[in-house]
Amino acid sequence: MFQQFLVIMALSAAIYMLLALGFTLIFGVMRVVNFAHGEFVMLGAYALYVVQDVLGVGYAAALPLAALVAGLVGVVCERLVFRRFVGDEIGSMIVALALAVTLKGAVTAVFGTDGPSIARPISGVVTLGGAVIPKDQLFAAAVALVLVALTHRLLVATRLGLAMRAVAQDAEAARLQGMRPWTTYPAAFAVGCALAGFAGALTAPIYGAAPDMGDAALMKAFVVVVLGGLGSIPGALIAALLLGALDAGISILFDPTLAALASFGAVIAVLLFRPSGILGRA
Amino acid sequence: MRLELDSVGLRYGPVTALSDVTLTVATGTTAAVIGANGAGKSSLLRAIAGLEPLAAGRIVADGADLARLDTEARIRLGIALSPEGRRLFPEMSAADNLRAGAFTRRAGPAVRRDLDRVYTLFPRLAERRASLARNLSGGEQQMCAIGRAVMSEPQLLLLDEPSLGLAPKVVGDMARAIATIAASGVTVLLAEQNSRLALSLAQTGHVFEAGRLARSGPAAALLNDGDVLRAYLGEEVASPPAGPIPAVPLPL
Repeated sequence: MFQQFLVIMALSAAIYMLLALGFTLIFGVMRVVNFAHGEFVMLGAYALYVVQDVLGVGYAAALPLAALVAGLVGVVCERLVFRRFVGDEIGSMIVALALAVTLKGAVTAVFGTDGPSIARPISGVVTLGGAVIPKDQLFAAAVALVLVALTHRLLVATRLGLAMRAVAQDAEAARLQGMRPWTTYPAAFAVGCALAGFAGALTAPIYGAAPDMGDAALMKAFVVVVLGGLGSIPGALIAALLLGALDAGISILFDPTLAALASFGAVIAVLLFRPSGILGRA
Repeated sequence: MRLELDSVGLRYGPVTALSDVTLTVATGTTAAVIGANGAGKSSLLRAIAGLEPLAAGRIVADGADLARLDTEARIRLGIALSPEGRRLFPEMSAADNLRAGAFTRRAGPAVRRDLDRVYTLFPRLAERRASLARNLSGGEQQMCAIGRAVMSEPQLLLLDEPSLGLAPKVVGDMARAIATIAASGVTVLLAEQNSRLALSLAQTGHVFEAGRLARSGPAAALLNDGDVLRAYLGEEVASPPAGPIPAVPLPL
């Protein structure tokens, strides 16, 4: 049973990390609370459906294409909407909620309220030290971890990443180094939304897609990010592990529906003692 | 880089920060900008860096009017500002702050050579290169801020209050470092409340009072001027001091 616990924890934590990373990256760089983050997850899932099941492209190519679609929609939203709300946490939250409803409505209008049926490109299980792991979940978690690692490399080892971190910490001082915040913002937004799109395209074959699937995704991302401290990437990674452990423990011992309840209980408990989150600064 | 300001005016809403400032800094020289808190020193440097729009006048660098260039373009032209309060990136290491300073340059041997130069100039910073900027001491942060500005390979270096809040011994180290940078041919505009220090490093001095240029002249003359010392340096002068008083020994 302990192996099963570890497996469920690792699989959920990897997806939670991916969900939360884009959300916290966008917040960290732009001080924009993107409550439409879940809709970009949903867009990734639907883009995968269109590319894979309608156009007939293989999963290996459809997966990055779906993320690309989410990233491009993200850039358009940044250009048209979010750049007017840089640094405005409340205003961005409200406009993001409106955008979330709009995107959800648009997808419903095109595809209907029922989720499309998406082919499962990976099937079967592997047995690892007594734990039974579905191969598709293992694949999704592995890709999620690779993406988390790649995002980390982007931030610490590239010019763009240096500019993102600098703009996040002091936009005016970044301009004094010749960095252009107004080109860094859409880049950060594109990366954040593409990560959300990946999360949607990775999980859609396993759990399906529906116009309102973004709600649960946003809640998971939000719980992780608030637990870890808004804008803190290491905090989000630690919080994703904690949330994964909580999910796994409660799902095994009690009931999966109790797990969601417990995760919000954990948010309240952590925030009572550390209002800025695990690694957040007050 | 030769810097010319022609009747420059600057306002923050209804408040006039600078009015009718005309001055020239010759290529390769160091000019001191001195005056009390709120006299307009920081506003002047921020205007040159393009962070504040001018209300009047023009700023010319090597014959080119800067009016149409934003801050990012001015950095690429060879202007660097080490701003008031240092403004390091707090969650980055000292080394990454220096890397950020070289953002506009192609990574390569020239950047690595300049990095070595900064570490030679500030050996303490070399020891602390892996520490987050927010964990550095005040002096180390100032070294990092000046180093970051130098990493862009500037032709015009604007330094805003580099001695503020530093221990006297560290002020001396800082002064030697600024003198070394100036000796390499960079044009330096040094804004300081520590007027004696600034004038001892500069060839010319500009005294600001309530946003206006009250006096300009050779730094040595201003240092020996009893009126200037009394009015702007906050010193009681019993008798005119004989000869310039060096604030710190300089390796010149």
